[in-house]
Amino acid sequence: MKNKVSKKTRNEWCWGWFMVAPTIVGLVVLNIIPIFQTLYLSFFKSGAFGKGNVFVGLENYKTMIQDEQVWYAVRNTLGYTCLVVPVTIVIALLMAVALNGKLKGKGIYRTIYFIPMVAAPAAVTMVWKWLYNSQYGLINHVLNSLGIEKMNWIDNPKVALISISIIGIWSTIGYSMVLLLAGLQEIPRDYYEASNIDGASKVRQFFSITVPLVSPTLFFVLVTSIITAMQVFDVIYMMIDVTSPAYNSTVSLVYLFYNNSFKYSNKGYGSAIVMLLLLIIMIITVIQTKLQKKWVNYM
Amino acid sequence: MKKKQNISTILLHIVLIIGACIMIMPFLWMVLTSLKTVSESTSMNPFIFFPETFQWENFQTVIRQNDFLRLYFNTFAMMFFRVLCAVLFSAMAAYAFARLSFPGRNFLFGLVLFQMMVPAQIFIVPQYLMVDKMGLRNSIFALVFPGLVSAFGTFLLRQFFMGLPKELEESARLDGCNIWQTFWKVMLPLTKSGLVALGIFTALFSFKDLMWPLIVNTNSDAATLSSALAKISSAYSVNYPQLMAAAVLAIWPMLLVYIIFQKQFIEGIATSGGKL
Amino acid sequence: MKRKLVSVLLCAAMITTLVSGCGNKNISSDEGTKKAEESGGDVTISYACWDSNQAKLIQTVADEFEEENPNIKIDIQVNGWDDYWTGLEAAATGGSLPDTFWMHSNNIYYYGSNDQLLDLTNYIEKSDQVDLANYPEGLGEIYNIDGKQYAIPKDYDTIALWYNKTLFDEAGLAYPDDTWTWDTLKDAAKKLTKDDKSQYGFCAGLHNQEGYYNFVYQNGGEIITEDKKSGYDNEKTVQGIEEYFSFVKDGLSPEIYDDQARAEAMQNGLCAMGLFGSWNLSGFATTDFMKENFDCAVLPSANDGTRSTIFNGLGNAISATTEHPDEAWKWVEYLSSKEGQERQAELGTAISAYEGTADKFAEAYPMFNTQCYIDMVEYAQIRPYSNQTSVWEDKAYELLKGAYAGKEDTKVACEKTAAMMNEALDAE
Repeated sequence: MKNKVSKKTRNEWCWGWFMVAPTIVGLVVLNIIPIFQTLYLSFFKSGAFGKGNVFVGLENYKTMIQDEQVWYAVRNTLGYTCLVVPVTIVIALLMAVALNGKLKGKGIYRTIYFIPMVAAPAAVTMVWKWLYNSQYGLINHVLNSLGIEKMNWIDNPKVALISISIIGIWSTIGYSMVLLLAGLQEIPRDYYEASNIDGASKVRQFFSITVPLVSPTLFFVLVTSIITAMQVFDVIYMMIDVTSPAYNSTVSLVYLFYNNSFKYSNKGYGSAIVMLLLLIIMIITVIQTKLQKKWVNYM
Repeated sequence: MKKKQNISTILLHIVLIIGACIMIMPFLWMVLTSLKTVSESTSMNPFIFFPETFQWENFQTVIRQNDFLRLYFNTFAMMFFRVLCAVLFSAMAAYAFARLSFPGRNFLFGLVLFQMMVPAQIFIVPQYLMVDKMGLRNSIFALVFPGLVSAFGTFLLRQFFMGLPKELEESARLDGCNIWQTFWKVMLPLTKSGLVALGIFTALFSFKDLMWPLIVNTNSDAATLSSALAKISSAYSVNYPQLMAAAVLAIWPMLLVYIIFQKQFIEGIATSGGKL
Repeated sequence: MKRKLVSVLLCAAMITTLVSGCGNKNISSDEGTKKAEESGGDVTISYACWDSNQAKLIQTVADEFEEENPNIKIDIQVNGWDDYWTGLEAAATGGSLPDTFWMHSNNIYYYGSNDQLLDLTNYIEKSDQVDLANYPEGLGEIYNIDGKQYAIPKDYDTIALWYNKTLFDEAGLAYPDDTWTWDTLKDAAKKLTKDDKSQYGFCAGLHNQEGYYNFVYQNGGEIITEDKKSGYDNEKTVQGIEEYFSFVKDGLSPEIYDDQARAEAMQNGLCAMGLFGSWNLSGFATTDFMKENFDCAVLPSANDGTRSTIFNGLGNAISATTEHPDEAWKWVEYLSSKEGQERQAELGTAISAYEGTADKFAEAYPMFNTQCYIDMVEYAQIRPYSNQTSVWEDKAYELLKGAYAGKEDTKVACEKTAAMMNEALDAE
């Protein structure tokens, strides 16, 4: 009997290893090795083109801790994440529930809400620059007619991060919505039918059926949204130049890494910044994985 | 009671329509800008929303200057293979992570999560060096290369598998299915909407991937839509109408893919749920 | 079972496509080169650049070159500025740089001193078509490291004053000319500025090359000294910067931080005047609106009559790892020869560096007073550079923008900039 079980178990092991093999091998070659190369490089003053690296120990990390811009970037990155993720997920969840029902025209809505995701970054930036323009932008135009004073949305250090976050929310709602819609499809209809018979209200159904049953997807959306938000780069890079007065209040860690590694050819320092970012994301993700037992409902 | 429901439906529509207007604004603006003259496109005083006459020649110029057939082909080929690899490999790995127990499972899944935490920019140079060593720069393979496996997909589908009732596969196993058959015949069809969502996002992310195709495929006939678009906008003084015309031409295939596949959500698992 | 079979077949078909996609439809230039060599000794030389406007024109030059040299094919590759350097860096690390490519003064040291570029000194000596004496003084020097020449000047660019003729006519003002000084500029800017902020006289964006550098050198200041120290603490430098920033402080210019926004501010009539480099010409010339309403003039002189403009030049470089150095040299030699330079000027790619060929460039853009760019070279100052220019250039922006917005004293900001820059220069 004992022997039989272990054979069955071994069979399961083999299948398990076999099934994860392509992904794991690919990840190790494509990603994990480069990550360790980056870690390695963070202890060096990098020479040009991968040659002539000089070992400096923790020098890059010491510089980083004293570099106030790095701490601005940490603050901005976390701030951006806190602004974008909760708003996006709440809106996307409500939207997904609304568009999951028997509503007329839901296909059209689903398509429209997805459009921001498809738009090319260059087009997105241009449109938002136009909306935010302090002189004649549409937003200020509307505010002005409501009697509110015009604002410099992009170059004012006090509001720039919020302006950037609005773009972030706008462009990621579609992502969370589609995933949550897919997750909602997995909920068997009879759960709702049963609770309808019990006379439960829509709001109650939402909290007692929808949220718990969609929670595995919700957990995924939460984890990936936070990671994506922490890695924000494109929009800030295209909207805010190093010359802008709002640079220090919007620059993100990836932006700093990009500038140091690619623009200033200081790969070692850039790598140290990536390691800091990685550390922060890891801490947040580990906390989330620990907390998931409290609210994520796996079958 | 009926009346109350009608009112709430109308209210819902109003909210959704306002939201839709905000969401569609950039797209509308793109299309309108692509039909303007250069001075109309940057004019702010007066504020020009609609072009005076539609400048179709913006499209003509862009089409003349770029081999769009080639770009569509490259882009679709890249999207196709990336989606295929992501869906196939991720589904396999995800099922194993969700339902099989084997030594090293948690550690290996940790690797998957770990990959997602690292900004993609650090992979560009190492991956370039690999493709370069294989002598495969400027090929479709080079475009597909970073997307051969997907940590994102593995994590996503694992969540979907974990959300499925365990009884299903237990009964399949009792029916004599081995592990692979249970996965392929029973579990995979049940995560159809997850697979579709993954397909859409893989297609979308590879469609939007900019830096990689720019750097690995330097020949203009090995470019993708977004990398060609970036080259159009690289000129010092930007010709916005032409840029937007190119953007419009580049966007529709992606929208089409989405419209086709989002229907799958409706026909997906929802009906089979009742049969459980 | 049926479904399984279908999917297996489908997979097989797809994998075949992928593999054959790499094999048959191979679009790799390396492969192409090898194949061509087997069939008849043809060689493909890649030529990378970052300006798509110029690339279109250089294609014509390349076509003509191919006609004369039927065994050489030129493959032009364009990327935007940022991606260009990222790509070049990756390629250099992998030892697969394009055969020939553009070089900039900000990056020459990084590539030249790390053995990525072919030393052209001997090639130039042997050549009867290329002689560095034929290029404006200082341009060739940019690409010379310890006596080795790593690139040959391709073109040069200077900065001119652009103005909106229509707005000048409305205000009844005379167009800018070579009699203008800082005072004339300011007076005109005042007259062209409207109180309701709907129109500004001048566009003083926060920019070095197309901005305050020009004022600094007109005032006799300097950004970097000959012995590679910062010039930001020089009193004259501070004065020049103050003069430039004063347009914003006096409300004669909007605060503009973004590169594209400067061109837009001109195009939509927000600003009546602005400083723009000659590389903008090919773009400006394709816009009817610019052609109808705009023209350019030499930069105003300082009040004591001192003239200056910032000039810089790109170079053509050859990769140290190219498999075909001779063919690559042939192409670069042609681009640098009198004939090649004349042809590029005629087509209007950029102001050709070869002496005497530049006038042809003015003829390529007859709608503007293009000649002013060429005239200014006489008193032009090479764009300040060191081994790692972009490091301190960016930091300088960060330190100066407070003063630019009027929140900090310019002198204090300049002193901070000087300290930062000296530290960066020492670290080089």
